[in-house]
Amino acid sequence: MSATLRGLHQSALEVIQRPASEDSVTDSFGQFIQGVQPHHLTPTLLHRSKRMVLDSIGVGLLGSTTHVFQLALQHCQHMYAPDDVSSVYGRRGTRLSPTLAAFVNGVATHSMDFDDTWHPATHPSGAVLPALLAVSDMLPNNRKPSGRDFLLAFNVGIEVQGRLMRFSNEAQNIPKRFHPPTVVGTLGSAAACARLLSLERSQCSHALAIAASLSGAPMANAATQSKPLHIGNAARLGLEAALLSSIGLEASPRVLDDTSGVAGFSAFYEDYAPQPLTSPEEAGLRFLLEDQDMGFKRFPAHLGMHWVADAAASVHKLLLGELGSQGMGRGSQVVGQVQDILLRVPHSKYINRPFPESEHQARHSFQFNACSALLDGEVTVLSFSQEALQRPDLLALLGRVRVEHPHDNPANFDNMYGEVQVTLVGGDVLKGRCDTFYGHWRNPLTNESLKKKFCSNAGAVLPREKVEGLIEAVEGLDSLEDCSPLLAQLQ
Amino acid sequence: MLRKVSHHSVTESFGAAISSLNAVHLTDTVIHRSKRMMLDTLGVGLLGTSTAVFSKALQYSQFFKSVERSSVWGRSGMTLPPQYAAFVNGIAVHSMDFDDTWHPATHPSGAVLPAILALAETLPTQTSGLDLLLAFNAGIEVQGQLMRFSKEAHNIPRRFHPPAVVGVMGSAAASAKLLALSPAQCVHSLAIAASSAGAPMANAATQTKPLHTGNAARRGLEAAKLALLGLEGSQAILDLESGFGVFYSDYSPSELPGTNGGCGGGFRWVLEEQDVAIKRFPAHLGMHWVVDAALEARAKLGASGEPDLCKVQKVVLRVPPSRYIDCPFPAMEHQARHSFQFNACSALLDNQVSVNSFSGPQIDRPALRELLAKVRVENPQDNHPSFDKMYCEVTVEMEHGESVTARCDTFYGHWRKPLSQEDLVGKFEANASTVLSQEAVESVVDIIGNIEKCPDCTVLRSYLQMSRPTTHLFREHLG
Repeated sequence: MSATLRGLHQSALEVIQRPASEDSVTDSFGQFIQGVQPHHLTPTLLHRSKRMVLDSIGVGLLGSTTHVFQLALQHCQHMYAPDDVSSVYGRRGTRLSPTLAAFVNGVATHSMDFDDTWHPATHPSGAVLPALLAVSDMLPNNRKPSGRDFLLAFNVGIEVQGRLMRFSNEAQNIPKRFHPPTVVGTLGSAAACARLLSLERSQCSHALAIAASLSGAPMANAATQSKPLHIGNAARLGLEAALLSSIGLEASPRVLDDTSGVAGFSAFYEDYAPQPLTSPEEAGLRFLLEDQDMGFKRFPAHLGMHWVADAAASVHKLLLGELGSQGMGRGSQVVGQVQDILLRVPHSKYINRPFPESEHQARHSFQFNACSALLDGEVTVLSFSQEALQRPDLLALLGRVRVEHPHDNPANFDNMYGEVQVTLVGGDVLKGRCDTFYGHWRNPLTNESLKKKFCSNAGAVLPREKVEGLIEAVEGLDSLEDCSPLLAQLQ
Repeated sequence: MLRKVSHHSVTESFGAAISSLNAVHLTDTVIHRSKRMMLDTLGVGLLGTSTAVFSKALQYSQFFKSVERSSVWGRSGMTLPPQYAAFVNGIAVHSMDFDDTWHPATHPSGAVLPAILALAETLPTQTSGLDLLLAFNAGIEVQGQLMRFSKEAHNIPRRFHPPAVVGVMGSAAASAKLLALSPAQCVHSLAIAASSAGAPMANAATQTKPLHTGNAARRGLEAAKLALLGLEGSQAILDLESGFGVFYSDYSPSELPGTNGGCGGGFRWVLEEQDVAIKRFPAHLGMHWVVDAALEARAKLGASGEPDLCKVQKVVLRVPPSRYIDCPFPAMEHQARHSFQFNACSALLDNQVSVNSFSGPQIDRPALRELLAKVRVENPQDNHPSFDKMYCEVTVEMEHGESVTARCDTFYGHWRKPLSQEDLVGKFEANASTVLSQEAVESVVDIIGNIEKCPDCTVLRSYLQMSRPTTHLFREHLG
């Protein structure tokens, strides 16, 4: 084309015709996914990502006991036939097509809201790990990925999510419109799978673009039974996007770039300012996980609950002190003594539920978690059973809760706090405050605590040998020449 | 403990309407229009099975095994799991941008028909043509209603591609209807589908665009099946800004009128008030205005003999502003279908725009590239990017000074100037006969034409797979 003709180009043309979009943000992601090398995995990254893998498998295994998992599995088994490819968590002998296995295992992972949480907010591992496991099952026996390759693909999937969330201010706060795992999780899964499938650079970019058309689910479905499907679908559809790209499907080469008038990934955010990734060939490539660790939950509820639970637990201790810590009838004693409960928490409609009507809502209720911890001294997996939800002591306390949203308490997992103030009938006021709960990235679970959580979760469905076998396989994952020992013990 | 936290009357009204709509609510107009939509959709879908994107989707979908199987259009004997049949057939429908368009803008039928045909093949009881028609219209109606909940939906989209937003909801509604779900289950079908809605506009005019419709069909069907199993989502999904409202910056839903239980109160369908546009050639709807204007301009130029287009000095197009259909030098088929400039020039050069206008050789031909270089685009203030209000003006200035201008306010095929029945059937026949045998083509026309009297709509299945003999040979040759 002559220079004259070039002069006629309008900016719309840039979207499509620039050769290979070489200087685009989208292409930098493709380059990163394809070009990152095992030596980029620092000891910190290896350590942190292995913890994530272990925790994610554990919560997924526990999640395979839930009703929503059963429903998702039933759906896949009805609509599709058994396909002897990819294993389903915790169900010996049950295998499905890779994308369907990714789906059900993803659902399991998020089914109890027990999976990891990052900052900015999303649940990164559940969208990626099930997809990678499904792909690994799909690859022939003599070409399984090594443990290091697996971990690299995993870290790619996490990194892409983290980078995407830094493209907008909206992503920094508790979400209001789209549920983050369905926005960044799908692309994270696509990136990780593209890596494990060894796609070419442009195919990696197209995988992200195809995934963008499969992203986005509204927040209203959070705290409903559908929520776990958000992670299940992120895993599944990201894998699907990578598979479609591998057979040549193409989509927008500038999906991550900011082209005015034509929304790409920017469609999901009100403000959007993308940045290219550093090339893997340059020095100074630094993964976000190195600087921003993961939060792990101690009980299956929304992350915000952990602050009020810890604050309420400290009040519980004070209260026991007041009451002389008698074992019998403690619940009703607490109820008898408590006149008023004030919670000072950030403003967020979807975790402010005075009277939760279901398990899902209870996991997303400041009030419920505070009262549970006040009664029992802690919140556990069992705090959300049907019986626990309906116990009279709890209901009595719920009726006495007031909620305030102090101006200095932002809806942000990096800066929020939880305060519980209990006024006793005698007039005494007991206060508890939590700035950083145990399990938060600023106060991470010890390896021992993490393992204990895993054993308790995995042990609900697997025999002891497999529980221990998984711990061993994950701990030594970066030395395994073949990740089969990991794959073999998930059911 | 039972305190109502959210108000969900809009969502509830949708659930109730979907569940209670029945044959008595179908008016003559709605039946007539929706049958035309069905026929057109089948035709463009059959033609679309020849595209590369369909092939890739099919290749991918064959990966899955299932007990229940539904037919792939145009492929003799080939079946897929029902959701994947809906997926690939939906892709076929939108693969060439040849399918119907509504106002506010979306492509309603491609998200719905593939899903319900796939579903009908798996149901244990016979599905009559009337059942199919009713489910189809439920799916169209829901889409129409949802688009009226925001002003944003009235203009050429910028963020989310409408078929991916409302299409999946329509598919869920239609599938729920066919499955005869309860009002509560219909609500949950919509809620679950909402978590599958939304795809960014940037993927329009790429090879992935047809997947928006394919996925809408597939995932709406999936949502209904999940609801049938008991999965629940937000019961206020259509009421909440954090629900379906996330896809629009201004969202203001209202309840559907009741169906009055069939006591002569009737049901006011959106399709009754607002017909669809049927395309005459496979390109974005906006192209149809510019082509009709260009054809008229060409006719004026040729008033005294064939115009010599080499002597064109300048072509000015006065069109509404829209980045994604303003493409001065398209390099690929998809871009050509979304280029005012390309379509105007094709019309000027060839005196027609057809299916064949968008092939590689046609895009690259020197005469066209030369003419493209002479095109200027203007966006007059009074030209709104809305399919209800836009116009296109084409001015051609010749070297010797002659200048003609033509304007199109309403192209032939638009809802204000619908295709005659003869031309609609003609389009179907031209499309379908590229894939199906003559007997099959005629049978489909006949079945759809009388669908409301058909006792078992799955008879369509065998005709939709009855390929032409030569097509068979070609494929065998390819191995």
